[in-house]
Amino acid sequence: MSNNKTPSNGSAKDLIENIQSNFEKQGYICNTHIATAIFLSQSLGKPILVEGPPGVGKTELAKATAEWMEKPLIRLQCYEGLDESKALYEWKYGKQLLYTQVLKDKLNNIVSKSDSLESSIDSLNNFDDIFFSEKFLEPRPLLKAIESENGSVLLIDEIDKSDDEFEAFLLEILSDYQVSIPEIGTIKGKVKPIVFLTSNNTREIGDALKRRCLHLYIPFPDPFLEEKIISSRVPEIDKELKVQLVNFVQGLRNLDLKKLPSVSETIDWARSLVLLNVKTLDPILVRETLNILLKFQTDIDVSDPEIDNLIESSKK
Amino acid sequence: MVDFLRDFVHILRSSDLRISTSESIDAMKVISKVGIQDRNILKDSLSFSLAKTMREKEIFSDCFDDFFKENYMNFEKENSPIGSEQQIEEVDDLDSLDNGAKNKLENLYKNSDKNSLMTAMALAARESNLQDIRLFTQVGMFTRKIFDEMGLETLNNDIFLASRMGDFNREEELKEIRENLRVEIRDYIENQVKLRTSNTGKHLREEALSQMRLTQADKSDYKIMSGIIKKMAKRLISIHSRRKRKSQRGILDVRSTIRANQEYDGILFETVWKKTKIDRPKIIALCDVSGSVANVSRFFLMFLHSLTEILPNVRTFAFSNKAGEVTDLFENKDIEVAAAETLLLNGGGSTDYGQAFVDLEGLLENKIDRKTTVIILGDARSNYGDPRCDVLKTIQEKSKRILFLNPEPKSVWGTGDSEMLRFVPYCNKSKVCKSLFDLERVVDDMLRSSI
Repeated sequence: MSNNKTPSNGSAKDLIENIQSNFEKQGYICNTHIATAIFLSQSLGKPILVEGPPGVGKTELAKATAEWMEKPLIRLQCYEGLDESKALYEWKYGKQLLYTQVLKDKLNNIVSKSDSLESSIDSLNNFDDIFFSEKFLEPRPLLKAIESENGSVLLIDEIDKSDDEFEAFLLEILSDYQVSIPEIGTIKGKVKPIVFLTSNNTREIGDALKRRCLHLYIPFPDPFLEEKIISSRVPEIDKELKVQLVNFVQGLRNLDLKKLPSVSETIDWARSLVLLNVKTLDPILVRETLNILLKFQTDIDVSDPEIDNLIESSKK
Repeated sequence: MVDFLRDFVHILRSSDLRISTSESIDAMKVISKVGIQDRNILKDSLSFSLAKTMREKEIFSDCFDDFFKENYMNFEKENSPIGSEQQIEEVDDLDSLDNGAKNKLENLYKNSDKNSLMTAMALAARESNLQDIRLFTQVGMFTRKIFDEMGLETLNNDIFLASRMGDFNREEELKEIRENLRVEIRDYIENQVKLRTSNTGKHLREEALSQMRLTQADKSDYKIMSGIIKKMAKRLISIHSRRKRKSQRGILDVRSTIRANQEYDGILFETVWKKTKIDRPKIIALCDVSGSVANVSRFFLMFLHSLTEILPNVRTFAFSNKAGEVTDLFENKDIEVAAAETLLLNGGGSTDYGQAFVDLEGLLENKIDRKTTVIILGDARSNYGDPRCDVLKTIQEKSKRILFLNPEPKSVWGTGDSEMLRFVPYCNKSKVCKSLFDLERVVDDMLRSSI
């Protein structure tokens, strides 16, 4: 317990605030909750599993971290049927075949030098392993992340879309940051990558995987945070319009909708309102541009009768 | 520090959070990184490693607030993350004061702040095994135990001495201290009881309810029971969520074969065959919702529809004398509302199994095939109507299998108007199913054997 690395009172808090302000410089606005998660994952070397509704900036968080730490972002998009050869490594078959063809001609030279069968087998033996060396290895995202010299940020996006098998296969990589390749051996990274896993919760992630990760839930931002996000992403927006717009979207999220408007959609809407040179929300304009926020016709129908009320209350 | 975390994890576990050892080790590491000075950062940090779903995060937040009541732990004052060592030092100080004229408890009360009083109390609580407290009625006993541990005897002696000496003021003063301390300790213990035992009662009740005959279930228990059903469903989903595959000899998987044979210079030595995923079973459930078995059907329907994740092809029918489909009801409405409406719409009237089979056959036409499992739930009491075993037979011939679940014990099958013995030959399996526990086992069996 008592080690010297334990930061004193100030430093843990300062480091967290430091992360927060650095993110802010890059236009990623977050609260201390998120910054604490990043701080912990970085100092404990543990992956973070980020969950939350779509469009709250789960993927952006990984991008911002990569930019802040000045490390390459390696991204692995999950889908059904994703397997080892696409996620981890593959042999360069073409190159292997080409080299065997080239070596065929040389083969006579090698064998002719030796006089007995035994010695020719010995000399051939030396060639075997070359074809299954790292020269012929095509690294896929996971191996790339582990091998990278100066560390990297690995983003495993939408893990819930992958198969259960893939999840099991991630366990070795996430707990030990190593990969076993039968022909070569175990490859272990010099620098632990920072790993983000994101999930939209379309299915429950297994307990074994959850146990190895820190779990961060990002909900929709509160009005204050959302205003900050808008002013950072759409700086040219009128201040009054910004407040109205955020209140309106927050109101929409309280309705019973199929898909709630996300932060990225709020940003899109703010941009289009700026383009349209709008100074204040009015019902006709909102109805015309509502399809930027809501992506289902049923949602638009549900919210239609509420629009006047929402605009009214957002102006207060 | 380790002790307090162990305690906290114990409390979280008793509130239904599943925390593994590795996660509590993580929590320990987390604390060593962030320290315990800032309450909000500590709460955030611990929640990352201890609570891993939305529901768990809510429970965690409540427990954390109760456990780390701000007046119990003064975060400003402690500047070392190693709390327990500091606590011990403090107690040492108190011991040294003990030798002075005044007694330990009086000293503690008069000279120290609430924080060290709390610390002393927590230490005494550990000595008297407060973590074993189970019932609210034990509060008095533990108050006395902890009070003794903290040095009640010397205080009592002093009071006795003071009264013998005729020092009335001192006697009163000491008595007041004693009373105030008693209240403090009692409050502390009551809070601990709330933390530690709030869930044990619920657990007992749930266990009893899942074993109880469903026909006896009372309306007041419905809420707890639907909670149990959700839990059972979750357990089954996690067991059966992986879809099984079987290899199908005959179709060559060209891509995988070429890849598998790269090491032989592309000469195809090993063959890889295509695998097909096994389809989830198609289920058709026919439930008797007449008075006698309504409760069982209600919970069975709720159970089936909580399993949509692993049983996407469920169609449910309810009948008393005419059968009607209720699948849509469950898909579009809250599960409990749907269950109540099913009973309203289809219940009442005298049961007629023969008519129900004919209706089912008519409603489904050709939808029953070799992949379909038909589940019939009812007491098989058909009011002496024609049971129409011939229709049941055609259903069995078309389907993969028929399961008959009967809430009545086997000994009364076939007595009175029960047609059960005439149904049994046409069912691949017939089982007694009287409690939630039985329901879970039946569905689990069905999922296992659907391969």
